[in-house]
Amino acid sequence: MAFATRAVRQVRISIIALALFLGMAGAARAQWLSLPLPGTPRTPDGKPNLMAPAPKTSDGKPDLSGIWHAADNRYVDNLAGEGADVPMLPSAAALYKHRQETLGQDKPQLHCLPHGVPDAMLVSMIPFKIVQTPRETIVLYEEFNQYRQIFTDGRALPQDPNPAWFGYSVGKWEGDTFAVDVAGFKEGTWLDNGGHPHTEQLHITERYRRPNFGNLELEVAINDPGAYPKPWKSAIIHFKLLPDTELLEHLCENERDAGHLGFK
Amino acid sequence: MKTTFAVCIVAFGLLLGARSAVAHHAFTAEFDASKPLKMTGTVTKFEWTNPHTWFYLDIKNDDGTVTNWGFEMNSPNQLLRNGWTRNSLKVGDVITVEAFGARDGSHIGNAKAVTMTSTGQKLLAAPSQN
Repeated sequence: MAFATRAVRQVRISIIALALFLGMAGAARAQWLSLPLPGTPRTPDGKPNLMAPAPKTSDGKPDLSGIWHAADNRYVDNLAGEGADVPMLPSAAALYKHRQETLGQDKPQLHCLPHGVPDAMLVSMIPFKIVQTPRETIVLYEEFNQYRQIFTDGRALPQDPNPAWFGYSVGKWEGDTFAVDVAGFKEGTWLDNGGHPHTEQLHITERYRRPNFGNLELEVAINDPGAYPKPWKSAIIHFKLLPDTELLEHLCENERDAGHLGFK
Repeated sequence: MKTTFAVCIVAFGLLLGARSAVAHHAFTAEFDASKPLKMTGTVTKFEWTNPHTWFYLDIKNDDGTVTNWGFEMNSPNQLLRNGWTRNSLKVGDVITVEAFGARDGSHIGNAKAVTMTSTGQKLLAAPSQN
């Protein structure tokens, strides 16, 4: 009898513990999808004030930190802008034509490989987080849990580095603009989903500006003498802040579209 | 605060609907935006995996036979931001799916929205364009 009572009590305790755990798990999820983050300027009704001035770091530089997503998808297909033709060298033009005609069936991300620079930031529903520190600015891309490090400690770009999917990045402030040089790319990333190609000679310059709390702007300059006869630039790409939320884990664990794609 | 966040995620969600082309994979390489589907069936499997979620429905054909269809949606994260959880679909649930059909005519679709037959609740499915 005593044993039975103890067993019942243990079951009860287990049920209570389970209920508490499930309750906490539910609350934690809700909190991390929607939680008031400190340092967010607010209007009198408590909403994030996205038009407030951009924050500054302790050394007076604009602080780009925050979770951002592209304001729209207009540069996903074509970094140069819808319908814009970028002059290409014959080999690049042939590769681009193939990628266009096959609707991107051999896109790297179909094999869980990265979108690359700047493509990883262009898809509006995939946010990225900028963490700005005095010596480096870190970009955490939600998609596939990838990251970039932009060093601001005065170092130069590496000479003849091992080619990398996201290249090697160094940045410096020019007034209110964060100017980033990226080089040392591995051939094979696509500059955009349309498939603008590049070679290992690619050198990208990114210019970031945060005009206010809720907006970030980026202009990308492409210089790749192996693929393009002359350097070219994107239009200004706009990003919106996603306030009071956090990035979520996103590992590419089960890519299965390849088998369904046309043009096999 | 909750309202603000809801507005943000709805706005974020609207961006998804505004797009019909490419991102993670080329939507147009796999699905056909001119082939809208609306079908009712019983859930046989729900795969809550990155980069895309899939669910499967047993759908009765006009001749009484049953075909198992697969439907793709966006990543779990996009669905979480649209109010889904991994428990939103359970095996045995009867649902109506609105989707785009496959280019190659196979029994798959890219889901736009799901309506639960038992409650009438409609969940936006975040089409898998990234």
